[in-house]
Amino acid sequence: MNYPVWDVPGIGSGWVIGMIAIFHVMISHFAIGGGLYLPIAEATAMKRGRKDWLEFLPRHSKFFLILTGVYGAVSGVGIWFAIGLAAPEATSTLIHNFVFGWAIEWVFFMVELSTVAVYYYTWNRIPARLHLKVGWLYAAASIMTLVVINGILTFMLTPGEAWLAVAGTGEESSKFFQAFFNPTYWPSLILRTLVCLSLAGIWALVTGSLLDGDRQAALKTTVVRWSVLWLLPSFFLMPFVFLWYLLVIPESAKDLLSLGVSTIGSGTFTQVTRTVLISIMSSATIVFVAYFIAYRHPREFRFGYACMLLIVALLATASTEQAREMLRKPYVVGEHMYSNAVRKTPVKIDGKMVTEVEHFNTSGYLTNTPWATGDEKVAWAKTDSERETRIVPVSTGESQRPAATPETLWRGELMFRGQCLACHTREGYRSMKRLLHGREYESIGNALGMLHDYSEDSPYRAFMPPLVGTEGEIEALQVYLDQLVNGTAESTPSQSVVAEPDKGDSTGHAESAGG
Amino acid sequence: MPKSSSPVPDIPLLRTAWDYADERLGLGEVMALAAKKTVPQHKHSFWYYWGGISLFFFLVQCVTGVLLLVYYRPGPEAYESVRAITYDIEFGWLVRSAHSWSANLMVFSIFVHMFSVFFMKAYRKPREFGWWSGLGLLGLAMIFGFSGYLLPMDELAFFATKVGLEIPATMPVVGEFIGNMVRGGPDVNANTIQRFFALHVVILPALFIPLLMFHLWLVQRHGNAVPPGEEKKPASERRSIPFFPNFMAKDLAMWLLALNVLALLASLYPWQLGPEADPLAPAPVGIHPEWYFMSQFQVLKVLGEWFPGLTGEILGLAIFTGGGLLWALIPLFDTGSRFEQRARIATWIGFFALAAIAITTIWGYAALE
Repeated sequence: MNYPVWDVPGIGSGWVIGMIAIFHVMISHFAIGGGLYLPIAEATAMKRGRKDWLEFLPRHSKFFLILTGVYGAVSGVGIWFAIGLAAPEATSTLIHNFVFGWAIEWVFFMVELSTVAVYYYTWNRIPARLHLKVGWLYAAASIMTLVVINGILTFMLTPGEAWLAVAGTGEESSKFFQAFFNPTYWPSLILRTLVCLSLAGIWALVTGSLLDGDRQAALKTTVVRWSVLWLLPSFFLMPFVFLWYLLVIPESAKDLLSLGVSTIGSGTFTQVTRTVLISIMSSATIVFVAYFIAYRHPREFRFGYACMLLIVALLATASTEQAREMLRKPYVVGEHMYSNAVRKTPVKIDGKMVTEVEHFNTSGYLTNTPWATGDEKVAWAKTDSERETRIVPVSTGESQRPAATPETLWRGELMFRGQCLACHTREGYRSMKRLLHGREYESIGNALGMLHDYSEDSPYRAFMPPLVGTEGEIEALQVYLDQLVNGTAESTPSQSVVAEPDKGDSTGHAESAGG
Repeated sequence: MPKSSSPVPDIPLLRTAWDYADERLGLGEVMALAAKKTVPQHKHSFWYYWGGISLFFFLVQCVTGVLLLVYYRPGPEAYESVRAITYDIEFGWLVRSAHSWSANLMVFSIFVHMFSVFFMKAYRKPREFGWWSGLGLLGLAMIFGFSGYLLPMDELAFFATKVGLEIPATMPVVGEFIGNMVRGGPDVNANTIQRFFALHVVILPALFIPLLMFHLWLVQRHGNAVPPGEEKKPASERRSIPFFPNFMAKDLAMWLLALNVLALLASLYPWQLGPEADPLAPAPVGIHPEWYFMSQFQVLKVLGEWFPGLTGEILGLAIFTGGGLLWALIPLFDTGSRFEQRARIATWIGFFALAAIAITTIWGYAALE
């Protein structure tokens, strides 16, 4: 474990969250949509006198109970662990603002878990009307979990003007409701509700596919067809609600999308746009495939087909969630905190309101990071002030660069871990080696310079945070990246100013970044 | 087909259009044939779709290949033209990515189709020619892949082709002649691209398309085979569905799913272009062929280490030739359910082949690390 800067090789910490979150969304949204499906199906069966449906529904509710109660709950806790490790500053912001909201969500969650257990275990044991009421209670509790968590999730994209006005003052929680009912709250709530209904239909198709098409022909036909109908609301309404959502997202997200649309022909800066297109295509595919394979020929609809639908649903969920996450770029909390955990809005430092960008650029990033110990901060500040006298120049043709001493590489790696690692890996996902492939030392410096200057006309502003730090710190990052990409930097004996607590060489320095 | 059974809705304009076309093209007969044709329905029906999925990817190959032809220039300008397609021409990156990904997906689908046919014993009488024509199509698809791989003429393509062409060159007596003929000289250069281009866009399609037509005609003639387990069931317990519209609707849904997979891969993981090939530069570390040649590559590599010199090379060629022949002649060995012992041996051969390909492929990639 390398907390608080979480270094996950290959896939990066973002994908750890992503994988858990996609799995969780598939199940938690089913928990909500399925919460409506069950009592509505039960009520319909009672109204129409369909005893065969009432024999099928307990089996479906057993599957529902196990999937949502066990895997939904476990993956939800998994997200908590993962976001706390990957983005501690952002998680801290959420907790400070929404701890009461989360408490409310947990109350509803407990009601949800209890009622679903009661609902399953009391099939044919309590009066039918009472059983149905338990189902409705479950549905209400599960919908309320979405109502609450949606406010917190949408806050991260659009915290709203009112909350941003007090951000950094220590009075952020006074704007709880403004932050909660933020600009994207309602379109997102409706979008997610539609997804819940679709997933209820898709998961019901999974259990419905297990019915025998020959022996239970009538039951299978009605269950399969009725379940396919649950996909229709999202198919017809999703485009309109999605447009509403696009209208209220922040300008930075619109810029990112329009940049992607305008450059999609050349394929540059289009990752978000491409992901959105995949999301739209796969969502539409689900409806067409469900119509052709399930609705038209329900008796022949087998488990394998249902699994394929589930895989496409997974694809749609994954691309939608990834697009939503990427739309936040370059922020982790819209207009407030960049994805490298540096705050954009002014914060109180030594009694004055200053931006962290300005503060880190003048006073140093490493020397002010909350993850360094007091000794390290003092040592790094000293190193930075003495930088000019300590540089050992190495001739590189027309220019000079500092020697890649273990100490410089260590500082560079700490900069990398602090400001790049949230989104990039060294050799895997969004690999720095690949992105900087072919760039020499000077060219890497130019790229870092563009990110540091963060000029108004820079295309990187649409998706990259500003690179903060003093000149010396950025130079150390440049040396580190050059070493990583080209492996050519010359090394001189260690001049480490802070003794490594556990290891004597430079390779393990990063492990001590947390102090 | 009588006019009353026309498949179009009862709208005067549509009926008139249908009658016009039916009278001249005999569409009603085609519809009647399609309605008569059935597809068996059982727990292994899923595997019936893989032939259609392979066909879908082939059609994507044709469309994207023609689009690439508009801008691709074989010969000394090959790399520059692919660079322009990838980075300068609008949506060139997407077309090239779709072409490359669908090529890989097509080979993968054909492999799945081949093994599903094998394990369902669909090569037995009267479907032997379906099996042989299918193997021919797989072989051509792999040569399509090999010849297309060089066309961008980037570093990886150049060295992988160079290594790949050394394999036939090791054959005794005729090896050098074949190697030089394919390369257009002793080295891989612009002449080789020209030859591979001609092979890729003229010769191979001219062989592939008629063979594909023959294969599809055989499928139409003999219908879908049922696995031995289903064959044993009495006729009353066997189920089937009409080809049109039931199976066709599902087949089209499968194509839609295949399109999703292709779109996902092509748009989110665009095919990369490496640096331009430099024949004088040393080969990069870990050079290797495409995944569908990795098994053979690894076997030759290992045999070369265990039996240095000509022995290893001849042994390798003997294994591939013998294995390929055995695989192709399996319909003559396992001729029907009357010979249960032979059927079991054939099944074990299938498992062995599948395991050998999988293990040597994984081994090949692991050895690159």
